[in-house]
Amino acid sequence: MKTIRLKSGGGRRRISGLIKRNISGWMLILPSMLLFVLIVWRPICIAFYYAFFRMQGMQAVRFVGLQNFKDVLTDTAFLQTLGNTVKYVLWSLLIGLPLPFLAAVMINEMIHFKGYFKFTMYLPVIVPTVATCLIWKMLYMDGQGGLLNAILYFFDVGPYTWLSNKNLTIPLIIVSMTWQGFGTNMLLYLAALQSTDQSLYEASRIDGAGFWQRFWHILLPHMRGIILLLAIRQVIGVFQVTEQPLVMTGGGPNGASMSLGLTNYFYAFQYGQFDKSMALGVISFLFLLILTFVYFRLDRKFNE
Amino acid sequence: MKKAYAKTNGLLNGIELQSAKYRVIYGVMMALLILLSLACLIPILWVFLSGFKTPAEMNSIPPTLLPSEYSFEKVREIWNKINFFKYFKNTMLEIIGALIFDIVLNGFAGYVLSRLRPLGSALLETLVFGTMLLPSVSMVPLYMTFVDMPIVHANLTGSFLPLWLQAGCNAFNIMLFRNFFNGIPMDYLEAARIDGCSSIGIFVKIILPLSKPILVVETIFCVINSWKNFMWPYLILGSTGKETISILLYTISSGTSGMNLTVPETMLVTMLSIIPPGIFYAVFSKQIMGGINMSGIKG
Repeated sequence: MKTIRLKSGGGRRRISGLIKRNISGWMLILPSMLLFVLIVWRPICIAFYYAFFRMQGMQAVRFVGLQNFKDVLTDTAFLQTLGNTVKYVLWSLLIGLPLPFLAAVMINEMIHFKGYFKFTMYLPVIVPTVATCLIWKMLYMDGQGGLLNAILYFFDVGPYTWLSNKNLTIPLIIVSMTWQGFGTNMLLYLAALQSTDQSLYEASRIDGAGFWQRFWHILLPHMRGIILLLAIRQVIGVFQVTEQPLVMTGGGPNGASMSLGLTNYFYAFQYGQFDKSMALGVISFLFLLILTFVYFRLDRKFNE
Repeated sequence: MKKAYAKTNGLLNGIELQSAKYRVIYGVMMALLILLSLACLIPILWVFLSGFKTPAEMNSIPPTLLPSEYSFEKVREIWNKINFFKYFKNTMLEIIGALIFDIVLNGFAGYVLSRLRPLGSALLETLVFGTMLLPSVSMVPLYMTFVDMPIVHANLTGSFLPLWLQAGCNAFNIMLFRNFFNGIPMDYLEAARIDGCSSIGIFVKIILPLSKPILVVETIFCVINSWKNFMWPYLILGSTGKETISILLYTISSGTSGMNLTVPETMLVTMLSIIPPGIFYAVFSKQIMGGINMSGIKG
């Protein structure tokens, strides 16, 4: 770090030299930084500030202390919504975490069709999010029109209800989200797999280690870091799930697929309660921040 | 078989694949992958095909998997009925603006943080890259910002500008650009500087031509992500005549579009929304696969 010494005789010249050296850099990055202030940093500060005010429309009317937080937390639906959000996260860890990893491990072993597998599994990623929701909503359609019930018809079972079944709705939404998103993680795992030290495999072969032993003792330890990283990213992402329940179920049936993100959205843009929305936002923000810190502690521990 | 022998990487090598036991494992993995790739394709194919069914066929018992006839006429009908071109045009406007803001602003920021490194760069890096890890607090404060911009007090909702501005401050993309520029040998820049080239001259004459790979990757991901973008376009542009395709799909499915489409018609619209990025993907799939590795962890 350069230091500015104002006391010395050449102080003024020093400062003008300093400005001359840095001015083009500062000017080039200024628009970008102004946008960051406007779009990223200022909104965070606003949320933390306004969460303590009663708002009328977009105006803060009066300071109410923790009242908004109290309102949000004591809302009759809050516990159910929190429980649902945790369910989303758990189902996504169960379905969405192993799938891209295993797919990548298997694709890495392939001699033929590698490109085909990669191409088809990444294809859903480019489908617009709302289109994905619609596709799956129609697959899950009640009656004979949906693909799932149509297939089941040929096995002489059904028709069942899917998204409108309160026990199935969250896992079914997670299935559609996994379908859409697992291609990206699969490619990331694949890249990490390609950096495995091949001589370890050679050595293990000489020692007579079989397929599974190599998988457990060489491949998994090598991949542990990236698995953990992607898992945490997934938890943070799914914890904020909003669009999918909004489009697929609107939070129903009977609030069974309501998530914290969707509640937040409804507070703001359905009920016009901006103060509550920000209070809820601050709560989930702090929770996720803790999660991020825990992750970094874990990460450092594993890397030592 | 020649190729199998040559395989040296991965859990199984070519020689092992000659033994029956490992061939079974290989076969099982191949079968699972085929199932998985079908699972990725079938929902899309089903929607493409079912869009051509009549509403009666849709609900017939026993269910029909394929429509009785495919007529291009149906696609044209629905295209005209909902004025699909309008939504396509709006989506393109969103994408083009986002692309310009993304490349110019994030590109310059990455360049400054990589090459010029003015006083305070370390602090800016901490602040910018720190935000990558932050979860979003709430959409409200940003929405309020767009409704009433600070200082100028302008209402930007109903214009594409908020979406473009958002594309213009992306910490991930700044990092991508910075890392790429870090890889350009310093000697080139030194030589140009000695020849009397200004910072901006160096950027235009040397950095830009060398940056083709990163520009391609940025462009591809910006286009795909803008095409997928839904929540903010919906909040900013909903029912203003500037709706994008994602907004159209949502209003159709939530019944607020006032268009009254049948299920097969909805499927046709869904198909229309997938075809453009699908073609884009087919053309650029190689760069996309490479780009994922370049970008590391992204979205």
